[in-house]
Amino acid sequence: MTAEIVKGTEVAAAMKEEISLEMERLKEETGGGVPGLAIILVGDNPVSKINVNNIEKTAQELEFNPEVCRLPPETTEEELIQLIENFNHNKGIHGIVVQLPLPYHIDDKVILEAVLPEKDVEGLHSINKGRMLISFTPFLPCTPYACLKILEYINFDIEGKRGVVVGRSNNVGKPIAMQLLQKNVTVTICHSHTVNPAEVCRKADFLVVAVGRPELVKKDWVKPGGVVIDVGVNKVGEKVIGDVDFEEVSRVASYITPVPGGLGPVTTYTLMLNTLHSFKVVNDLA
Amino acid sequence: MAELLKGKPVVADMKEELSKKIEEFKSRGINPKLGVIRVGARPDDLYYEGSIKKTCGGIGLEFEVFEFPEDVKQEDFEKSLKDIVNSKDIHGILMFAPLPKHLDEPKIRALIPVEKDVDCLTIGSAGKVFADDPTGFPPCTPTACMEIINHYGIDLQGKHAVVLGRSLVVGKPMAVLLLRENATVTICHSRTKDLPEVCKEADILVAAVGQPRMVNADYVKEGQVVIDVGINEDPDNPGKFCGDVDTQSVEPLVDKLAPSPGGVGGVTTVVLAKHVVKACEMQTT
Repeated sequence: MTAEIVKGTEVAAAMKEEISLEMERLKEETGGGVPGLAIILVGDNPVSKINVNNIEKTAQELEFNPEVCRLPPETTEEELIQLIENFNHNKGIHGIVVQLPLPYHIDDKVILEAVLPEKDVEGLHSINKGRMLISFTPFLPCTPYACLKILEYINFDIEGKRGVVVGRSNNVGKPIAMQLLQKNVTVTICHSHTVNPAEVCRKADFLVVAVGRPELVKKDWVKPGGVVIDVGVNKVGEKVIGDVDFEEVSRVASYITPVPGGLGPVTTYTLMLNTLHSFKVVNDLA
Repeated sequence: MAELLKGKPVVADMKEELSKKIEEFKSRGINPKLGVIRVGARPDDLYYEGSIKKTCGGIGLEFEVFEFPEDVKQEDFEKSLKDIVNSKDIHGILMFAPLPKHLDEPKIRALIPVEKDVDCLTIGSAGKVFADDPTGFPPCTPTACMEIINHYGIDLQGKHAVVLGRSLVVGKPMAVLLLRENATVTICHSRTKDLPEVCKEADILVAAVGQPRMVNADYVKEGQVVIDVGINEDPDNPGKFCGDVDTQSVEPLVDKLAPSPGGVGGVTTVVLAKHVVKACEMQTT
């Protein structure tokens, strides 16, 4: 079997169309209001810059109103909090993105907690994480959300299936596990301490890998015909590779996402979906 | 025959430790105290309240019940609750849920300060639990399971734990707590295909589905540790309770079994007390 490669750009194109149609419909109901997205970049990390530009461009294409703040690396924590406070109060802003990592002298956790949970479109505030555990969050973090969008795109019905999540991070592994439970998946979470991970993973109808270990997942980890979503982004020399050995695994899986070009483009659009949702909530249209 | 992981010895050890700590506090002029909020008089709540009172009494933990009439108005309730939860003398708050339907429960729960939220009633606490922040208290029942597991020296490292049930108060937080101890965790539920087969994969099986005696010999295998969290009305013996595990059919097969009744249930109120003492510690240092 040779796996079908799920191209992130194609999934993203479908999402773009979906959002554009929704925007068209909303225009009439809101009298021309548009979703406002504040994007904050501190410093000049090259990867962060590219990411922020990407988010800005995507928001513009969707006719959202992006407001980008590019701040110098010496910005203080107090200044950053003040800026976030302003956006929290700004009625034209429906979502706030703080590009991570922040410079060393600023505490990420303090900053993420400063964002109003109602505008936390990245789903990183502890309140939204709590909702994930004991009720329902309006903002699923972007990466787990993108995994769900990919499964939806390939028409993979996850109801009652076995899903194995490799990695138990607070921003990817655990949130996606909680969300999959909501969708009636039987979920297993494994990690670096798991004994015989290949055997555990082979039980999966679909596998989500988010550990940050280049090409960890080999073909004997994958059930023939299984779906494999690779969240990993690892820089090895000049190359970017995923957590899955693409070459090997694509010979046994039914669908596989490549790295790069898989999850990445979809993630930006899940951020837009969350922003659009926030806009709808504010306008009583959700 | 399985070794029975009884709650009593766990309770005894925990109580001894808590008594000492409480005495220490008292010698410094601090009186750790739990405030219990009850609206109406549901028999379940009264029963639980009774066992909390007994536990607190046994270890010298101060305890006060704040009772409200079933038809209390939202406004009045909020106002009184604010006074109670903000009192410096009260270190932990337990509120019986669900509240009567006319009350806005999420709004009321949010009034409980996270540092006094000893049974994870607020989203703020849940967020901390989710993110493994030790200043957030997990719900008492899954914590009681962990106490039993620790007390009997059951190693979780790298083991496969299967949680049967995905409820907000037990299943999901249980999974988070097991992950912390480096177990591989599977959560299964009513929509799981081949449920008995998935349960057989477990080294440790935690049953929390609320189905009397559902887990029988078909769900288990040799060598397993089974923790029964269920407390159900026994369909065969009116007025009695039984667990989610069919003890008679499971006991001969597995290695260890925390039975219900007699296992997790009794530990839960002591966990509550432990949380109050920890909350007091955090608030007074």
